[in-house]
Amino acid sequence: MRSSPTPLLPQGDAREAALFFVVCALCFLAALAAVTARSSYDAARGWTAQVEGEMTVRLRGADRRAADEARDVISTAPGVISARVLTSDEVIELLEPSFGSGGLPAGLPLPLILAVEAEPDRESLAPDLQRRLTEIGIDSVVEAHEDWAGDVDRALSIVRIVALSTVLLLVATAVAVIAFATHAALLARKDIVDVLHLSGATDRFISRLFERRFWVLGLQAGSVGALFALAASALAMSLASGQSGRDGLLPRLSLDVMDLLILIATPVAAAIAARLAARTTVMRALKGSI
Amino acid sequence: MIQSKPDLFEDSAVRLDGVGLRYDSNEDVLSGIDLTLAPGSFTFLTGPSGAGKTSLLKLLYLAQPPTQGEVSLFGRRTSSLNRRELSALRRRIGVVFQEFRLLEHLTAYENAALPLRVAGRTEADYRPDVEELLRWVGLGPRMDARPQQLSGGEQQRVAIARALVNKPSLLIADEPTGNVDPEMGERLLRLFIELNRRLKTTVLIATHDLSLIRTLNAPVLRLQHGLLVRDVEFGPEGVVA
Repeated sequence: MRSSPTPLLPQGDAREAALFFVVCALCFLAALAAVTARSSYDAARGWTAQVEGEMTVRLRGADRRAADEARDVISTAPGVISARVLTSDEVIELLEPSFGSGGLPAGLPLPLILAVEAEPDRESLAPDLQRRLTEIGIDSVVEAHEDWAGDVDRALSIVRIVALSTVLLLVATAVAVIAFATHAALLARKDIVDVLHLSGATDRFISRLFERRFWVLGLQAGSVGALFALAASALAMSLASGQSGRDGLLPRLSLDVMDLLILIATPVAAAIAARLAARTTVMRALKGSI
Repeated sequence: MIQSKPDLFEDSAVRLDGVGLRYDSNEDVLSGIDLTLAPGSFTFLTGPSGAGKTSLLKLLYLAQPPTQGEVSLFGRRTSSLNRRELSALRRRIGVVFQEFRLLEHLTAYENAALPLRVAGRTEADYRPDVEELLRWVGLGPRMDARPQQLSGGEQQRVAIARALVNKPSLLIADEPTGNVDPEMGERLLRLFIELNRRLKTTVLIATHDLSLIRTLNAPVLRLQHGLLVRDVEFGPEGVVA
């Protein structure tokens, strides 16, 4: 038995090796951008969801009795789930980022702080609480965490848009590079294409030869690029979250199923883009041939 | 007017009406060619170098359209066909190119089988036919050789096998015996004759080889300066009739 027939297009040359590298690099960057954006966005979403509805009320010039009174007033306000006065230890822990872990200076008075949990979907309660406390003569500052969670949300939306634009730009670049390479390959193989035409091959038959070639190239280059992106993501996340050994201000990043799906989809998307680019280029070019 | 003629010419395998060809140099390579080849006919085309033989053959195997006139094959005007229909028509034409045009990365066997592969036949289906044909042209032991490993004569025989393998309705050969010894030349000619007689293939052979022409009592077309100047026939003794 003869082995399987030789492909009608000769095996790739140095140009295809260069193209492989370029597609691989583009896939690496696209996958990395997508994974980073999605992972950051997801982590921040979880974090902002957690702080939404939380408020801190700092009482100025109040004693413990006033603090209890303030807690009672706040607890009865509509939309509030709970309110409590933070213990001294909790206040010290809150101040630790400002004063360090060496402890507070002796004699420094600790502020009285109330932690308030409100219904997450309610409009901001801060002005209402502020008003209620003023009415009973308590000077206070109400800080709704959602204010700066909103800032983080807006920043993340921008990051997401930038990442999506980057991915689209990289895909467009890959398509353009493959179209250019296909055209070059078509010119380089003109003798073969002519013989195939004269042997009765249709444009689709010839196009499929190039499509198969670039499909495989896209799949292989995309797989290698995605593997590198996986390694780079894992390394970056490990470095970002593993150094201090504790949860910091920012959310902890991690790779999950969705990230793996992105990495698996990368070579498939690269292969589909390569195939479509090759098909369009070949079919358009052949229209002007014999 | 050519446009007013019916679209089908069932009585002709090849029909050229007022065909002209001009390349970018603006000089007519072919001019005012009227020609009809009946189905199953066997015809030689001769003429000096540069007379336009290869250009005329290119029009016939649909490598390019004429700049004037109409080429009709198997009763169909080629100018009215779309690319898919042209491909289907090309599958009915076997061509032996003067420069062979074998694919360097394929073996002799794969080159010969190319038209069948293009037509979508499976290897299991066509392998016996291709091997038999290659044995017939004396390439049985050289089937797995690539063109660069073959002599000029062997390459020419692969090109001939490729042209014949799908039993074409029209065989066009440009100097098909130019690189083979007289014995092989005669053998190949017998193959063309057999194809012509058994399968009623229309055969058109362009050649300088007068001895080849004299072998057969077949019509001879002569091209000179792009014009079909004579339609002569050699008699049984090789004398112009």
